[in-house]
Amino acid sequence: MQSLYEIETTIKRVSKSQGLSWGISEEAGKAIRSLEQSNLNGLESFKRLIDYGFNNLTKLLQTDQTNTQNLCPIHFGLFFYDQSHKKEIHKTFNFYELREPLIIIPFILKAAKRNLVYFKLNSKDFSLSITPGNIFSLTKGEIPQSLSDFTLSVIPQREVNYSEKTWDELYQLSLDTFVDESEEKKLSGAGAGLTDND
Amino acid sequence: MEINLRKPEFVMKLDRLGSFHQSKLSFLRSFIREFKDWDFYNHELILDNKGFGHGIYVVQKDEKQYSLVCFSNHLNDNDRSDRVIATKWDASFVLFDGIPTQEDIQRLKENVPLQEQGRVSEKELCLSRANKSVRVFEHVVDSLSKGQQPDTSLLYDVGYLYRTTAVYGSGKFGLADRIKIQDRGELKGPFRLEMMLVYLARQFTFDIVNHVAYERSPKDAVKLSDDIARNLGIGNSTGLGMAPFIVNHPALLNQWIRAKEKALQAIRLISTIEENEKKTFQSYLTTIQENIKYWKTDSPYQIEKNNQLLKDLKEFQEYFLNLPIEKSFWNTVYLWAEQNTKPECCEFIVSLMMEVYPDIVEPLSYEMSIDEEEYFDIDSSRNVDDVCKLIEQQYAWLLDINFNQKENIFNFWYYSKNKQEPRMSDRFSEEGSDLELPLAIARDIQSLYRELKTMKSGSDVGSYLSKNQQYRHVLRRVFICEKLPYSEIQDNTISKSLIPVDMLRLKLSFFGATRFDPRSDRWVRITMYQGAPLMKEIKKSNDTWSYKKIA
Repeated sequence: MQSLYEIETTIKRVSKSQGLSWGISEEAGKAIRSLEQSNLNGLESFKRLIDYGFNNLTKLLQTDQTNTQNLCPIHFGLFFYDQSHKKEIHKTFNFYELREPLIIIPFILKAAKRNLVYFKLNSKDFSLSITPGNIFSLTKGEIPQSLSDFTLSVIPQREVNYSEKTWDELYQLSLDTFVDESEEKKLSGAGAGLTDND
Repeated sequence: MEINLRKPEFVMKLDRLGSFHQSKLSFLRSFIREFKDWDFYNHELILDNKGFGHGIYVVQKDEKQYSLVCFSNHLNDNDRSDRVIATKWDASFVLFDGIPTQEDIQRLKENVPLQEQGRVSEKELCLSRANKSVRVFEHVVDSLSKGQQPDTSLLYDVGYLYRTTAVYGSGKFGLADRIKIQDRGELKGPFRLEMMLVYLARQFTFDIVNHVAYERSPKDAVKLSDDIARNLGIGNSTGLGMAPFIVNHPALLNQWIRAKEKALQAIRLISTIEENEKKTFQSYLTTIQENIKYWKTDSPYQIEKNNQLLKDLKEFQEYFLNLPIEKSFWNTVYLWAEQNTKPECCEFIVSLMMEVYPDIVEPLSYEMSIDEEEYFDIDSSRNVDDVCKLIEQQYAWLLDINFNQKENIFNFWYYSKNKQEPRMSDRFSEEGSDLELPLAIARDIQSLYRELKTMKSGSDVGSYLSKNQQYRHVLRRVFICEKLPYSEIQDNTISKSLIPVDMLRLKLSFFGATRFDPRSDRWVRITMYQGAPLMKEIKKSNDTWSYKKIA
């Protein structure tokens, strides 16, 4: 088995050899390392990208880009990592096709954490949610090798994922840890004086 | 009185960094301090009559165990080479996490002597190899087998029986990743495992000569005396491969330098001292001037530095003896050294001052590691005007370099395909500059600065990155340097005038190396652990061994 160090340095060098800048290559190495450390098939995914050829991939450089076919996951992830602090990015975008969407996860995780934003990636067969809380969740399907006709929503606020009823019931239960106060305790319990009109 | 840390633009010049000396902060010394209450013992020594076989040395405390597995193999003289291109060595070592089983030993026996061509596993922590100093080895074995102790003048001229030629760790060749051990309390200082490997390997070199001498003449042989063994270290031969480390690990470099600067600042701030503090300093100064005579080198560069050091020390000695104990004594001493001596001597005096104050200096050794990942990410929300200002403040030294001039871009760094090690070559006569490593920091930051200057004022870094990613690797460094000001060497690492051996010296001084002996401008031999307590004495070590008289 290769060490994580070997994986990171090898991916960094491969990325450079394929024409990426040193700075992006460093990011790619760390991304694949973190996927492999999480027992996700980052290395295989990266190899398929190489086989497909970076020259055949489209770099995402701006949100109103018309060509979003065969998007490169490294540039896609880096774009949102670099730009998601901006308010104009906090909306839903439509894209045509993303290669190896697994690879965007480390970038989007870091972007979510740093900018306290929430990402929702959605297609017909696949949904992925990434939050600042170091957790990502697949709500349907497996991560495909290529993702078509999908949206990515960048949401600046946490969403409510529970019903009012559930919250009320839990809150009522939490009150069971409180102590009923007598009139006397109400006056003395907080430690304040008997009069504050001095 | 206010005394600031020395400024990065003063400290981070290569001629000063390349004049650093070992000190209480050096890793081999902090290793001994950290592990002195552990048990060190020889677990197994299976050698034939010529000293070929293997040995295992264990370092243990409670349930924690580390083992050095050493292999000694026959090597033809014409196969012996210190260069990293070598494929065979007299000895090879691997530091094992725990105590190896027989299956582990067999697996390691098949792989460790092959070094880069072999494969180790995440059970292993560090890998190394060493060659004999043939002249010294034979003399020692011959003398001991005849019942005599060896000639110390020969021994101390060399300083060791074996010299290592590389020490690998942190995931190389399948070794355990740093993440596996980073939370272990005993490994909080930098390079602890590498220092452990070298320390145990030193013991193996003593055990081999004793064993071979006994096998040669069981009736007459005597063991190498402890006094002689103690004054032998283990050598190391280091080439350019080590140099890029300090460029590639800016956050770590900052921690090393900052610890030293904090120590110096704290000592300069001492307002009153006693006579015995001055005397302690003087005693170290006297001893080390004696020991400098063992710093042998054929390098004109180092000979000049050593001669200048001796000359400066002589003048300093006269000044120091006549200096009355006064308020802010050490600040006065330091300022005199800075103004009247070359960096080689000034930094030597700084190291000596640190010896007097273990309570100030030793705790700082725990500040010399850092989680580099915390500094990797770029804050793309920052304003480009701010980044330009950062560059103007932190990198003023590079803004006026003319990178159109040949001598300023003369060299390029690359990775050797044969040995997967960094190398440096002349850009204008050698091929391969299209595969240049990102070590041309000065050139690339100047280019980044010029590009940022063309951006609309007020735009953010994200906007710049959406159009240009070419300098992302140095943009990252600008932000690191903002938080960690000692992270950047303030010299052009691709200029014709670069002396790479200064980069090696910087790192090796923090390791604790002594007796710098450059074999060229990019190759140096050094000694480690010379004078250090033997394995059986380590519990009694009081960390003053670096300044004991060698002979």
